[in-house]
Amino acid sequence: MDLKDIKAIIDLMKKNSITEFEMEKEGFKIRLKRGVNGTLTVTPTEDGQAMAYPIQSSAPVAALMPASLQASPPVVSSEIEITSPMVGTFYRAPSPESAPYVDVGADLNSETVVCIIEAMKVMNEIKSEVKGVISQVLAENGKPVEFGQPLFKVRPA
Amino acid sequence: MFEKILVANRGEIAVRIIRACKELDIRTVAVYSEVDANSMHVQLADEAICIGKGPSAESYLRIDRIVSAAEITDVDAIHPGYGFLAENAHFADVCENCNIRFIGPSSRAMNALENKAVSRVLAKKANVPPPPGSDGVVEDEQEALATAKKVGYPVMIKAIAGGGGKGMRMAHNDISLRKEYYLTRNEAEKAFGNSGVYIEKFIENSHHVEFQILGDNRGKIIHLGERDCSIQRRNQKVVEETPSPLLENKFRDLRKKMGKAAIRIAEVAQYTNAGTVEFIVDDKGQFYFLEVNKRIQVEHPITEEVTGVDLVQQQILIAMGDELRIGDIQFRGHAIECRINAEDPFDDFRPCPGRIEMYYPPGGRGIRVDSHVYAGYTVPSNYDSMLGKLIAYGKDRREAMDKMSRALGEFMITGIKTTIPFEQAILQDPNFRRGVYTTAFVEQLLGGARRELIEDRA
Repeated sequence: MDLKDIKAIIDLMKKNSITEFEMEKEGFKIRLKRGVNGTLTVTPTEDGQAMAYPIQSSAPVAALMPASLQASPPVVSSEIEITSPMVGTFYRAPSPESAPYVDVGADLNSETVVCIIEAMKVMNEIKSEVKGVISQVLAENGKPVEFGQPLFKVRPA
Repeated sequence: MFEKILVANRGEIAVRIIRACKELDIRTVAVYSEVDANSMHVQLADEAICIGKGPSAESYLRIDRIVSAAEITDVDAIHPGYGFLAENAHFADVCENCNIRFIGPSSRAMNALENKAVSRVLAKKANVPPPPGSDGVVEDEQEALATAKKVGYPVMIKAIAGGGGKGMRMAHNDISLRKEYYLTRNEAEKAFGNSGVYIEKFIENSHHVEFQILGDNRGKIIHLGERDCSIQRRNQKVVEETPSPLLENKFRDLRKKMGKAAIRIAEVAQYTNAGTVEFIVDDKGQFYFLEVNKRIQVEHPITEEVTGVDLVQQQILIAMGDELRIGDIQFRGHAIECRINAEDPFDDFRPCPGRIEMYYPPGGRGIRVDSHVYAGYTVPSNYDSMLGKLIAYGKDRREAMDKMSRALGEFMITGIKTTIPFEQAILQDPNFRRGVYTTAFVEQLLGGARRELIEDRA
């Protein structure tokens, strides 16, 4: 089960007004519960901690999931984030056939183009503006992003 | 039917629009600046998109980011509220070019009433003259002096691109005119990006009476009665009411005349959607055209209470292409509105942004509160100081005033200073209670009364 599946389940729950969903398979168990006021409680059995998130925000659900479900490295406090300077759609590569501009481990200087944000049919190349190495890709390819939304985590040089 | 609307505004009007949408079963998208992340309109909307940093120029005025937010959330229409981009014809054009309906007048109508100077000319064409003054923009000091000589002092120098009572100064003689002319032009350039000004005779003992209009896309235009907004402090409205005591008690035949004049002006401008035609009435019952506000206004609730018409919903229905179906408007009762601001009336109305500790709004029969604030909310310093509007409705003026006084007494907001004590003093003032007041009312009240008097009445 990966993040896409969980997000798809959450969307289905919302669409069909389902408040509780529980699933167990291959040593992995998850329980999702929608609160009356629109909060979502996620209870993965791994760390047994229930966390509630408001689902009003339009930020991709990926950003709301606890770190243990993302199968990503733990947060390092000295890392900085590259945030979106505009509102639009996030693309990791110049075209659907090309390779992404950058990936985890890529070296950045301030002029490195890290992604495209498409706004009103204009493709805007977004520059890194920081020196370092990409440690995490936070935004999802092809998904909308808002102003200030974290796109990448960078270990500064 | 629209399925989704983006609200390109904030504060109480964004909440108002979201409410209208919810009742029509239309989903909503809020846009917000970083400092508005905890604002009520963000909580109430179905989706929310952050569009920039606190300053309006970096967020609520960013046409590119707002339209981009509208595209990624796939909305059918945008409601611009009031202020910000509500009367920006370029914004309306960009929306339409991106296949997003703009809930407001067409850009043609906006251009016909593009600025106050142009509107004055249009009004003359519609046989509704403005106060005597310059024909259009006053290009230089010589022209200013000549105009003032022609109409007689005192005169008002007004920015053509001004709005919300801002960008106007008065001159009593040639010497002050020279000074105020340049000051107004400089301020206008900074505040509105347009230094054009016109000059108009200052009407003494005047009353500000405006008419609400609605026009559909088929050319049908109606008016929904007047609002008396003479209670102003430095050209900012404080208390509004309908019907106007002046028209009710002194000049009964004016309502019909002014209503017709308002419709005539709207027809010449080929106006669509909601708008307000503002007039100045002097003590002899002579009325003059002031300007047209091409948007929903702050004080729209009092018209809603006495007519039973939801103006914001009408805006949405008109934008969807519906024809005006409200027919014969019935006027019942009396409604008063007080604008509650985060300002200290005892310290020259200094704005007091800050954290609201306790918030208890009034209730009961005939009381309506249109507000976005709550206990624990921090009023940001980047925007206007309005916390909300308190509206009282009664079967007649006496009952509306009694309810308003009661409601003001119950309204508890702690942690910041508010104008509630000031409004309580207004409601207790004998001239206000008699319904006899002009646009000089607030100045007289504040000038004459000592602090203790206001505190006493509060």
